[in-house]
Amino acid sequence: MGTIAKIHDMLVSKQCSCAELTKSYLDEIEKANSELNAYVNITGDEALKTAQAVDKKIAGGEEIGLLEGVPMTLKDNMSTKGIETTCCSKILTGYKPIFDATVWEILKGQNAVMLGKTNMDEFAMGSSCENSYFGGAANPFNTNHVAGGSSGGVSSAVGGNIAAYGLGSDTGGSIRQPASFCGVVGLKPTYGSVSRYGLIAYASSLDQIGPITKSVEDASIVFDAISKQDKRDSTSKGNVGGETFSKLNNDIKGMKIGIAREYLDGVRDDVKEAVLAAAETYKSLGAEIVYFDLPVLKFALPVYYIIACAEASSNLGRYDGIRYGYKTEHYTGTHDMICRTRSEGFGEEVKRRILLGTYVLSAGYYDAYYKKAQDLRGTIISAFNKAFEQCDVILAPTVPMTAFEKGHAVSDPVETYLTDICTVPVNIAGLPGVSIPCGFNANGMPIGMQLIGKSFGEATILNAAYKYQQAAPEKFIDTKWGVKHKNKNILRLHHSVRR
Amino acid sequence: MVTREDVENIALLSKLFVPEDELDGLTKSMQEIIDFADAINNAPSGGEGFDNINNLSNVFREDEVVPSYPSEEILKNAPEQAEDHFLVRNRE
Repeated sequence: MGTIAKIHDMLVSKQCSCAELTKSYLDEIEKANSELNAYVNITGDEALKTAQAVDKKIAGGEEIGLLEGVPMTLKDNMSTKGIETTCCSKILTGYKPIFDATVWEILKGQNAVMLGKTNMDEFAMGSSCENSYFGGAANPFNTNHVAGGSSGGVSSAVGGNIAAYGLGSDTGGSIRQPASFCGVVGLKPTYGSVSRYGLIAYASSLDQIGPITKSVEDASIVFDAISKQDKRDSTSKGNVGGETFSKLNNDIKGMKIGIAREYLDGVRDDVKEAVLAAAETYKSLGAEIVYFDLPVLKFALPVYYIIACAEASSNLGRYDGIRYGYKTEHYTGTHDMICRTRSEGFGEEVKRRILLGTYVLSAGYYDAYYKKAQDLRGTIISAFNKAFEQCDVILAPTVPMTAFEKGHAVSDPVETYLTDICTVPVNIAGLPGVSIPCGFNANGMPIGMQLIGKSFGEATILNAAYKYQQAAPEKFIDTKWGVKHKNKNILRLHHSVRR
Repeated sequence: MVTREDVENIALLSKLFVPEDELDGLTKSMQEIIDFADAINNAPSGGEGFDNINNLSNVFREDEVVPSYPSEEILKNAPEQAEDHFLVRNRE
């Protein structure tokens, strides 16, 4: 049983009230957050208010939904009405949206208890969470290591058990990579299955919101809840592939699981071994492993950085110090005010990506970079379509390595970009991908693998992921504990919600 | 080849100031990223082109007037406002 269903059972059977549960999470956050830095804004009062409303329903004998009263978190790039939403950037400090992102509107409507907003690389640009204006989030397995990025805060919170689940966003791996680093499950849905309305844009043709959870069941429950068509996002189609939860336990005998050799190039040995061991597990479950080549993958990373930066340079044009957020104090005219506001408000990596995006879109370079990258995007999509003629699901490492030590990522931008090599192809092709834990390295740091599906094939990849979780439950976080908790009473309450 | 002048020019287009002492470092790191991006120019062109993801197409609707957010709510986030408008001063 996943964490969400366990909490639901606890609430319904009145083992504890929702207010008590929420209070215990908030107490845990207070103790663990100084070390993890997962939360950048804790919304305790709002959380307890929702919890009391849920308790009132339960006391009145009303039925409650599965997500009702479950303490969770949102990455700080999802708009929350009246609650500061900063994208972990100085330029958005103090910004309080006047509307809710569609995903939050849906979950709030189901009385989800939001504990707070979580840390991220500024504007979701980064792979370690260290580009956050508030400093990076730490890895719950070893706090000297990074949580990964950009949804580092959500992953750290879920991995450290200071949120039952959370929503992240994934533009080039920002859900799957930190999920892999923190030993949790992260689902990047098909482009268009979850509304992006209210998600502060990084690269609009790549961004997608998805769940970060402790178990595959939880990812399925949350995905089914949030994948709704939304007229406010013209690229949203809803859950075209149908609900996923009832299909989790389908037999995978005969399922063809493909491994593209290029995905294993340059991957560290411990990671490669863990992924190939998972392939053996799949064989024992009756699946067939098919090897094939996907040579175009070697162009995926530059294609990603060109397209993402081009779109970012346009999306981030809106930050001008006039309508919201930070504004410089001293200036000599309007142009000077805007330039100073942006130069003081954006961090180094964000500025670098805006400049790169402006460069590849400028006259003289547009054809050589942006247009060529868009052409290759079509080539990569065709290559994936061909691959899916040979297999149902593609198995690959999520990241070529495990979580690195803090401070390691900042020195060389190109080297840092290479950590995204296994995750970006999915965003380029708009496909769904889920990262699940598949082992630990010699230092006890989690290793993740991803299962990639056809467009709107979430049910298939979650089915394959669930079968693996059943076969190898020891790889999943419920049996591993990252942060030391000192208060025994709360530990007991938390233990009772774990497997 | 990315030059200092290129970086100064794109910084102007991006409405960003690059301090003089950061210009050389930034030019170098831009050059490294562009060298890395240049890999795509060795790629065989599949000629597929790209115009949409997952067969998404434009969504059309009638242009109907619907209620929006009250301007006083919107203006609460503005660093400066006056008389129901955003305030932009030409001098501080």
